[in-house]
Amino acid sequence: MKNYSTKWIIQRITALILIPLTFWFVYNCLQLASFNYDQTKAFFFSKLNSSLYFILIISMLYHAKLGCETIAEDYVTSQKLKNITKLTINLLTYAFV
Amino acid sequence: MSRFQHFRIFWLVFFLVFSIKILLNSILSTDLFTYFSYLFLNTKLLFFLNFRKKNILRTNKVLNFLFKMQSKRPLSPHLSIHKYVLTAVFSIFHRFTGIALSLGAVLLALWTYLIAMGEDYFIIFQTLSSHLIFKIFLFLWTLAIFYHLFNGIRYLFWSYGKLMQLGVVYKSGYAVLFLSALTTILVWVSV
Repeated sequence: MKNYSTKWIIQRITALILIPLTFWFVYNCLQLASFNYDQTKAFFFSKLNSSLYFILIISMLYHAKLGCETIAEDYVTSQKLKNITKLTINLLTYAFV
Repeated sequence: MSRFQHFRIFWLVFFLVFSIKILLNSILSTDLFTYFSYLFLNTKLLFFLNFRKKNILRTNKVLNFLFKMQSKRPLSPHLSIHKYVLTAVFSIFHRFTGIALSLGAVLLALWTYLIAMGEDYFIIFQTLSSHLIFKIFLFLWTLAIFYHLFNGIRYLFWSYGKLMQLGVVYKSGYAVLFLSALTTILVWVSV
């Protein structure tokens, strides 16, 4: 994807998706931090929770990738280093997705 | 006879000159005035072709520029030159928390791996979460999340050109700080 304007639009869309999901997740996350293994398992076995979590993770990582790329474009001055940082960001995101 | 001949030659020369003038005008000119002035002559097709030829170059220039605008983007101002203004500090913190949260997202992905691997691996997380440092880390994480969220909403408004006035920008900045602090406190009180 070379076109920057589509990237910009995708970043805004993912941001809009993330706004309600973060409220949902933070509410649950503080409970999850003190859960047993069985309780967390029960949390993820419900269909609603797992699907919402899946959407959250995908959109979050993509949003993070785009954001980090823009930061790298702005502040990394040499072109070689810029390309290297972009590559590492991409590799990290695709590895964890 | 000679008088008539003279008259004929005059008209012939006049016609030739005028036709050449029209032809040249129709071929070489590119403005719309001449196009409309010769509309009722048969030369308009020639003119139109030439008009297109000249304008293709112009449109190509514009298209090239548009393509450059789409493929690249204007970079943000460099940090070391400018004086620190409140809005700039907000933007910097937005980016900083963005980097921190992206690292946090990676950790979150690792956490899901630990759950998926089984109960033996999940103990690693439980031992980590029992520490006090983990709680502090979690607190900072929630603060960063809410700051990034509310400031992101502010930027979303900006990208539609709303709330861009000078006074409103500062007010909304303070509102962001207040809201992020309030939500983190609310969340930690409820837990």
